[in-house]
Amino acid sequence: MAPLRPPPPLNNSKKRKEAPTNSQPNAPKRHKPTDHGQKTRDARTLSTQTTSKAFKNGELDVSAFVKSRAFEITALEEGMARSKKALNRRAFQQVPKELRRRTASHNVKRVPKRLRERGKREMADDNTPTVTARRRKPTAHMRLRLETVKKLRALGAKRNAGKDRVKPPVADPNGAAPKNPADSAPDQQQPVKTLAAIKARTPKVKQSLLATPPLPKAKFRKRQIHKSWLPTHLFHAKRARMTAPSASLWRFSIPLTPTAKSYRPTHRASHARGAVAWDMSYISTLQVEGREASLIGMLKALGVDEEELVGRQGGKWRQGRRVLEKFVFEREAPHDPIAPVTMMWCRDPAEQSAGTVEMEKRKRKLLLRVHPSAFYQLWEELLRLAKVAKPAVSVEDLRFEIGSLEITGPGGTEALLSALWPSHPIPGPLAKGDTAPTAMDIDSGSSNKNTVVEETWSALAGLTNPAVLPKNALLSFNVQDPRLHHPPRTIKLPRTETEQHKLLELIASWPVDTVQQHPELFDRKARQAASAKMPSQKAVNRRKGLAAPGEYPEPLPNDPQIPVLLYTTAPTNPDRGAPGRQSPKAGSWTLLVPWKCLQPIWYSLMYYPLSTGQQPRFGGLDQYRQSSFEAGKAWFPGDYPGTKAGWEWEYAERRKREAEWRKRPKGKRVNYKKVEVGEGGRGEVGVGWGCDWERLVGGPPVSHEGVEAAADAEKSGKSGDKSAKGVKTKAQEESQEPPQQAPPKLPHLTQLPARQALALLATPPTTTIKLPPHIHLPSALITIRLTLLTRGVPQPCARIYRLPSSTANPELRRQWLALLSSNTRNHTQKHGGKHAHPRNLPKTGHGLPQHVVQQRLAQSLLEPARAGEETYPACPGEEDLVGFVTTGSYDLAAGFGTGIGSLLVERVMGREEAGERHLCVVRNSGTGVARLGRWEVI
Amino acid sequence: MVRIKHRYLLVNILYPDAKYSPLRPAATAGDDIPYTVQFRRPSPDQMNGGLLMRLIRDGVVELFGDYGSGKIAGSLQVKYFSSATSTAIIRVSREHYRLVWSALTLTTRLPRPVDQPCVIQVVRVSGTIRKAEEEAIRRARLSIRRAEAAAKSSSVSIAGTIPTASTAAAAGDDDFDMINGIEDPDELGDLDDDDDG
Repeated sequence: MAPLRPPPPLNNSKKRKEAPTNSQPNAPKRHKPTDHGQKTRDARTLSTQTTSKAFKNGELDVSAFVKSRAFEITALEEGMARSKKALNRRAFQQVPKELRRRTASHNVKRVPKRLRERGKREMADDNTPTVTARRRKPTAHMRLRLETVKKLRALGAKRNAGKDRVKPPVADPNGAAPKNPADSAPDQQQPVKTLAAIKARTPKVKQSLLATPPLPKAKFRKRQIHKSWLPTHLFHAKRARMTAPSASLWRFSIPLTPTAKSYRPTHRASHARGAVAWDMSYISTLQVEGREASLIGMLKALGVDEEELVGRQGGKWRQGRRVLEKFVFEREAPHDPIAPVTMMWCRDPAEQSAGTVEMEKRKRKLLLRVHPSAFYQLWEELLRLAKVAKPAVSVEDLRFEIGSLEITGPGGTEALLSALWPSHPIPGPLAKGDTAPTAMDIDSGSSNKNTVVEETWSALAGLTNPAVLPKNALLSFNVQDPRLHHPPRTIKLPRTETEQHKLLELIASWPVDTVQQHPELFDRKARQAASAKMPSQKAVNRRKGLAAPGEYPEPLPNDPQIPVLLYTTAPTNPDRGAPGRQSPKAGSWTLLVPWKCLQPIWYSLMYYPLSTGQQPRFGGLDQYRQSSFEAGKAWFPGDYPGTKAGWEWEYAERRKREAEWRKRPKGKRVNYKKVEVGEGGRGEVGVGWGCDWERLVGGPPVSHEGVEAAADAEKSGKSGDKSAKGVKTKAQEESQEPPQQAPPKLPHLTQLPARQALALLATPPTTTIKLPPHIHLPSALITIRLTLLTRGVPQPCARIYRLPSSTANPELRRQWLALLSSNTRNHTQKHGGKHAHPRNLPKTGHGLPQHVVQQRLAQSLLEPARAGEETYPACPGEEDLVGFVTTGSYDLAAGFGTGIGSLLVERVMGREEAGERHLCVVRNSGTGVARLGRWEVI
Repeated sequence: MVRIKHRYLLVNILYPDAKYSPLRPAATAGDDIPYTVQFRRPSPDQMNGGLLMRLIRDGVVELFGDYGSGKIAGSLQVKYFSSATSTAIIRVSREHYRLVWSALTLTTRLPRPVDQPCVIQVVRVSGTIRKAEEEAIRRARLSIRRAEAAAKSSSVSIAGTIPTASTAAAAGDDDFDMINGIEDPDELGDLDDDDDG
């Protein structure tokens, strides 16, 4: 309210702020924090007039009086208008985050309808330049393309005209009149008919050959030279961050993460409300065909446990009612782990009728799904095995023939149900809106046996968690083209208790097991027929237009019947989540369909209005990793550094982190050389930006170079003498070069399956362990899940240490164990989290009785040390390093930081003492504070 | 969401004693300055928002002690002060605006650098600054109209006629429109039992 404050500028004629005029040249250049309230404050200040200004010469007269009032009126009115405008938000700013569009600022049609009028008015007020595609002046590049198109059109027209002229010599006196299409049609059809009579040889399917990606449209061909697109590429490319064109992932262009913020929404959608879907078509599919015995022998050779394959356990799987996911290994001596593989048998049509001998003789098909990073390894292994198998086994690459998607979350089943309309018209809730068929109905055979699967599927409405179905259950049937039912409508869900009961009964009896037909997805012909018969969008639209209003078009006999195969995946770990709290164990659906039929299904899913509101979300690779991390599952390849694919992934990640680190100026990046790693040591163990397995297995470099390790890394050009630094230096040298192949995996590094790891850990240290001879114990890794017991969040690359041994460093060990006694997560949670400790104890007894002060003092002494205090234990030394965290962050499902990592099994074997099961110390890379944690094998 | 609620007091300062006025009547017009104009004198230049703030604070301390000053300290703000028209808008929290109002009402003299006898009227109490501003505008319009009418009538009276009935009627309307201390009614749920003055 300074009296002489000049009124603020009425309209902002200047766009830029002027440089401050009163800045002294020698003033310290300190960055001032941005004052976000300044604009509002300016807008709200009212201009005033002083008495001396208003009344010239100090005289009081009527006209000056009137003028001063008039000034006040204008000042107040202007002030009101200004402050209103400052608070005002444009129509397109008021839509929720997921509805915001960049174009909404200049195209009013992008604004939701209820705000459109306002938006239109605002644009008119603001004189916003609105451009429509029709009136836009083409850019230079576009103009060139348009000209080319024009030329090509002219050429094409000329050619067509020439063709027409050659065919029938039309003698039209009026000149070149347009030809009657009705005349020419029979002419053209004649040769077609004769051609159809000649039966073409059906091309033989080449087996044991790698599949080639489908030939893309000419328009998109150039962009898919070194990679292929997923069937839903166009959908994702508009909405997600894709892999860089130069750095495709596994020869695919894969969505990494949606453009919209999605970390927490993804968690919510997959656990609480909604659904998240992924296009998983990049997962490779293989088919092996042969006698059952030889196929099982093949799997045995790949290191799958025998009892899983042949015993009672695998019975349902062998009959094609369940899927099985197992880790496979190479057949040859080091038995390197390859990847987890999902396997499903093709169910035979004539299973019951055939005799035992016939059963053994007939050929069966087995579908294998494997991550693309391990595809070639598995492919070569399978080829090698197929050559030696007797009777013969054929291997087929179905990579670009079968696409897949995965959907999880409570609304996932519902969304899938609306997208997948079974081909056989059934009296289900989808078709007529009647009551769902009961398990009794389906069982008792009142309905046709052929449609049991379809009926069961339609009766699953209301299922929120596929994990309650029989584990790894498999369904297969044919569905209609989902575009006929687009846009999807919310399906009818069971509301009454009896309906819910029916659903439960159905799940319990699971009639699909007994009547599952031969899944047509295994049939090449069925797949191709479905893909070929897909009508054009134009045809679909015409049919929809002919249908009665509000009705879907009637199914026709020659509609495509898309074979689909659905199976559920449930999280394996039963004891998941924070102690004392049951966390939701959300299962997920995986859908396999012919590659070309996936895209329409995807669109139907994405636009399905969920009964709980909103639509299913889509996720990228990051979301997939997040969801498996929150489920406590290890993600292949990232969490399996013992495999070849995992090793390459880790190497790529390391390069990425290193580049990120190098990009920063020296003052703003972690100086790995100076990190305190405990026991007075300085310098990060190994490379700070990676999980340095070489260092872990090979031990520290020969000479005393623990300190210099990071220094070398920093001086990038310097390579030093290779012999002394070994593998690490080599890796660094390579890191300077442009992207290329990762260095070969450490020779014996391997990943043990959970069962073997548990057996090893359970053996008492005194007994000698009998191991399969190929396992080189000093470099065998186990995958673990990690929870921190006190505080902190493990990050990727965090170092995992075991507790120091009671002989080498008993004092440090005691200090760490003291933390365990009272300060565990359980304890703090009961008392309200991290702020529970009475830290603000009075130093001297101000107004407190003596005994209270003493009591508090005693309490403070008993309380465990906290990070940063002098008594907080230091990190154990490098001799106690056992592994690294490969994935770690704050876990939204658990409510605290957790991690997934790998340990060298030899270093943790036989180190357990009573009451300290699987304790470890975790230190994030580049930090000096270590935290107490507990791990478990997964 | 909870919103912090305020009251906005629209305040006029009157100077009953003409001899302290910073302005002298215009030399040419002499005694012809209408009463309405003389009644609403401008404040001296030294009078500003800060001084008004001090005045209120001192007044509240005097009347209600530390309790009162503590209650209003957080929210008191002079939103607008124009010395040419002696109008101010003061913001204070809704619970304690009566403390400020009473301090204003009981003020008889402006503080030191000005040091003049004065009367402070709270003419309007509103929940939004917008309403206070609108009221200020309305009053300014009225006083303009009045001053013009009075000036005309005085010039006419100089010519030798008595004031007409129409101007008297207008003056009567003005009186009705210039009621002071108009208060926004509190919302039903907002009534509280604080004995804050």
